[in-house]
Amino acid sequence: MALRLAWRSLWRNRRRTLITVVSIGLGLTCAVFFICFAEGVYHQLIEDVVRMQAGHVTVEHKDYQAAPAVDLFVGNAERLRTRIGELAEVQETKLLVLGQGVARSGTGSVGASVMGVEPSVEAKMSMLPRHMVGGRYLEDADEARVVVGTKLAERLHLAEGKKLVLTTNDASGALTEELFRVAGVFETGVEEIDGYLLQMPISFARRLYGLPAGSATQVGAVLKDSGDEARVLHKVSRLVEGGESRAYPWQEIIPEVASYIRVDRSSNWIFQGILLFLILFTIFNTILMSVLERQREFAVLLALGTSPWLLRRQIVLESFFIGILGSALGLTLGGLAAYALEVYGFDITRLYGQGVSISGAFISPIMHARVTARILFWLGVIVIGATLLISLVPMRRATRVNIVDELR
Amino acid sequence: MEDIVRVAGLTKEYGQGEVAVHALRGVDLAIRAGDFTAMAGPSGSGKTTLLNLIGGLDRPTSGEVAIEGRSIGALSMSALSRLRRDRIGFIFQSYNLIPVLTALENAEYVLMLQGMSAAERQDKVRFILKEVGLEGLEKRFPRELSGGQQQRVAIARAVVSEPALVLADEPTANVDSKTAAGLMDLMARLNEEKGATFLFSTHDQAVMKRARKLLLMQDGQVAYAGDPVDEMCEENDGRE
Repeated sequence: MALRLAWRSLWRNRRRTLITVVSIGLGLTCAVFFICFAEGVYHQLIEDVVRMQAGHVTVEHKDYQAAPAVDLFVGNAERLRTRIGELAEVQETKLLVLGQGVARSGTGSVGASVMGVEPSVEAKMSMLPRHMVGGRYLEDADEARVVVGTKLAERLHLAEGKKLVLTTNDASGALTEELFRVAGVFETGVEEIDGYLLQMPISFARRLYGLPAGSATQVGAVLKDSGDEARVLHKVSRLVEGGESRAYPWQEIIPEVASYIRVDRSSNWIFQGILLFLILFTIFNTILMSVLERQREFAVLLALGTSPWLLRRQIVLESFFIGILGSALGLTLGGLAAYALEVYGFDITRLYGQGVSISGAFISPIMHARVTARILFWLGVIVIGATLLISLVPMRRATRVNIVDELR
Repeated sequence: MEDIVRVAGLTKEYGQGEVAVHALRGVDLAIRAGDFTAMAGPSGSGKTTLLNLIGGLDRPTSGEVAIEGRSIGALSMSALSRLRRDRIGFIFQSYNLIPVLTALENAEYVLMLQGMSAAERQDKVRFILKEVGLEGLEKRFPRELSGGQQQRVAIARAVVSEPALVLADEPTANVDSKTAAGLMDLMARLNEEKGATFLFSTHDQAVMKRARKLLLMQDGQVAYAGDPVDEMCEENDGRE
């Protein structure tokens, strides 16, 4: 009976109830869409960045984080990558040699960030090989070949086939230099990458920095599902336990990206929270008005022997119905809109040109939303929970009615 | 016969100090099982206040009300709720049906509160609605019923749970005289056939005359308690 009373009471003022439900629905639609969109961007950012770097879980020399230097390397990198690659959660393993140097050509010199890579692995994992604007990307058989960004190429007047000299210090501290030929030029649109990054085959990077065969600065694991990160980190940590190396999650390897996501996610939820908070006032107003209009009716119900508890339940049910209807509308509309964006994506180059950089990281310009049951579930719970919470005040009003005064 | 209601030294004041209004000034009375009692008196004489106190809708300033021998003064709110639900039926002047419930649902509401099964409820309510002449109108909402029909639903709601006492506050005030007579016939029949005890307030001489016992209220006190006497009924007829 309480259910029937609550449901029918809701539709006494059909227009008011509909306006309230639509308000909740539209507010929640916005919240679902923007949160799913942001989650999609974070996911894409993480996936693109970790694939271009050493993966979701990275093994480094335990002192490398504190003071990155080429002599702090993982000696048994090849052996370790084989064991990591045997883990079921791992899609691919990567080896990288990282260093610094000065790139010189006949027209000048520029400080460069050097990345020794396995070309065939990069071709599968990283977006960089897909952004070549001149020449070609590296191949496994390449020797003294490099790919450089457009900005670096401009500064040193480089193009495919041109020569450049890279001067650096090797692992023993001795000054060393090598002559390279440019295999190709890439363009990501991100200054930090196009202006300073230089990639070469890992074998040649080892030779340049005087590292032993089979070693690497980083051994990375790219996972099939980023949700397995904690489990894989634990497993990899056990593999390197007791040695000179340590396993890190990507958040510690690329902290600026992790911080960006954390801050942006928080501000996004706060913004959506404010929006929902404002909408909750509409619900509060509707329920309170509905209760105030029915004081006499509540007095009759109490006079007939209805317990205050039952009356409270009726008010809560009315709020619950409003919350459920609004949430169903919002989650459906918002979920569908976000799902469309997940499937089709949005090409952000229409707004910002070719490259998209977030916190200095290069990501694909086609943005996809990410609709997860978890997001929909929690948003629904928040809205319905908040609706129930704000019904407490009208609920108290309903049961504190003075029967005699109302029936007079 | 045992007393269904016993009232002793009942007073009720609204406000305090010099502005205090003495609605009841020491009322003593007893209503016996099966009584069909009318309560008359001018406006402000304390009729509604007395009904509210007997029904446990309000607390007295002093004195005692006992229903079926049990004092209700010390009962908690929830105990009073249960008492009203199980032992008292209410009929209000302006029907006070729940607008979103049908005639049948309104009538079965108290039975639902009592936890009776749906099937048993339906049987009882259909029977009582037939008794009050509303057969075929069970699915109508209050707005689809006339004033008289609505008051019949209210009467059905009040008696369906077979309470010890039915309190009615001017049950015929909002209907025409013909409908009022019909409602009185109905209540009298329910009193006779089902043994329901009725205490109702009224300004209507015709209604007073139908009662088997008359209480005359004057300035918050019972001025007369006994058989309805024509002269008294005429003196207290407030019906326009």
